Amino acid sequence: MENGPPFRFFITHPKVVLLEWDTEPDDALLNRLIEFRKAIKKEFVEVIQITQGYCSLMLFHDKAINTIDRYQTRLNLLYSSLVSFSKKNSKLWRIPVCYSEAWAPDLNALSKSLNMTKDTLIEKHVSVRYRVQFIGFLPGFLYLSGLPKILECARKDQPVSHVAKGSVAIGGKQTGIYPVNSPGGWHLIGKTPYPLFKPQEENPCFAQAGDSIQFEPITLKNYWELEERIKNKTFKIRPE
Amino acid sequence: MIEVLHPGIHTSIQDMGRMGFQSLGVPIGGAMDQNAMHWANYLLNNPKQSAVLEMSFKGPKLLFHEATTIALTGADMQAKVNGVALQNHKAIQIKENTILEFGIAQQGKRTYLAIAGGIQSPVVLGSRSQYKDITPQTVIGKTKLIPFNKTQINGQKGARLSFTASDWDNKLIPAYKGPDFHLLPKKAQTQLKNNAFTISVKNSRMAYVLEEKLIHQIPSIWTVPVLPGTVQCTPNGTLIVLMRDAQTTGGYPRVLQISDEGLNLLAQKSTKAYFQFKIGSV
Repeated sequence: MENGPPFRFFITHPKVVLLEWDTEPDDALLNRLIEFRKAIKKEFVEVIQITQGYCSLMLFHDKAINTIDRYQTRLNLLYSSLVSFSKKNSKLWRIPVCYSEAWAPDLNALSKSLNMTKDTLIEKHVSVRYRVQFIGFLPGFLYLSGLPKILECARKDQPVSHVAKGSVAIGGKQTGIYPVNSPGGWHLIGKTPYPLFKPQEENPCFAQAGDSIQFEPITLKNYWELEERIKNKTFKIRPE
Repeated sequence: MIEVLHPGIHTSIQDMGRMGFQSLGVPIGGAMDQNAMHWANYLLNNPKQSAVLEMSFKGPKLLFHEATTIALTGADMQAKVNGVALQNHKAIQIKENTILEFGIAQQGKRTYLAIAGGIQSPVVLGSRSQYKDITPQTVIGKTKLIPFNKTQINGQKGARLSFTASDWDNKLIPAYKGPDFHLLPKKAQTQLKNNAFTISVKNSRMAYVLEEKLIHQIPSIWTVPVLPGTVQCTPNGTLIVLMRDAQTTGGYPRVLQISDEGLNLLAQKSTKAYFQFKIGSV
């Protein structure tokens, strides 16, 4: 495969290395980051954790790296040997979202400011498959790309102090789900009963970078039913 | 068991932190002053990863239901057992039904209480460090019970550690240039190197916001991974030092990275304390 775009190698801390791509984030870069990350995990036993940003990877080590030159050479070699990312490892998750006014305090105002009806806003929001760029900010918070341009909007001037866990929101060029109760500055347009983060489970978050997310509209009645089934552990979303 | 009679201002169970889940947005967390925690465990011959009690600003009032051995490190919090003052930095025998009471931190802000065998609270995602939405409790609350291993009562080393006042008064915080340092104008770089900075009232286990602002104009960046010790610079020049409970990603330029030693030193400072960055190479 052709050589990928070059990255900057930066030693942030004696045990932490940052790799950064000086480019706009896009699907091709995301695929490459995921592939590189997987390869590093396999080949570099000294790397104990890798975190990801839009255009960056951060490698955490169990101890200080002492032979920087050799380390960098190994990393470059690995990067140039990467094969293309195969979609078969990425999953599609359909997340049930209730857009009822009970859960959407900002739906009315936002649809007005975007010059569309509430139904159109919802229709647009569920029409696309979003891609998980990475997870960060809060435990289980998915950074999603792919918000239709027509739904882009300025964030709130003042963040509100309490956003309920599961709230689905739009802010700037992004959409997302608040995985835990937290303050937030995005416009709240719905809510999912499905937990994004379960700390007691071995794999606390079902999605990972590269996966796709599609929101499935449900009624308020569905919401209560699902919430009950989730509580009783008789409902689990399955990937496609 | 230890029964919490009064929780103090901010008391929480901490260990070396939660490694391996940052890619799911889970902060590393752990003791703010890892060095002090380490010595507390060392004095009791505890394994390194044993959980301790981190007490900030003003400590709790605790009732030990069973006998054990403890060690106190970090800030001197005027610990007393039945009205008798205890010394930091050595192993201390505690009899059953003893009340251990702490006062306000003198020199330093955080005190560590290690217990023989370590605190036995539930492990969540590989760590006992308390954190909102990860562990059942975020801090130690009143009437709560803290479990420890009561069979393991002797394990202390004969050692006694000694510290001098100057260790607390260190105003030089070792740091490295951050990935965006070079984007700062020369004047702002000089500011970072030469000026003193003051910790504002906005300081917590998550981050310390500094009072002095940088004069800069650097473009905003795409959200990137961050770690404890990362110093961010907001569009208006405000510096935010990320502490142990830092988020895993951030959207502000990263101008400095504080060293592990620097983070331990900062953990013992709070509102109105000032310091200078000592910028070296990694």
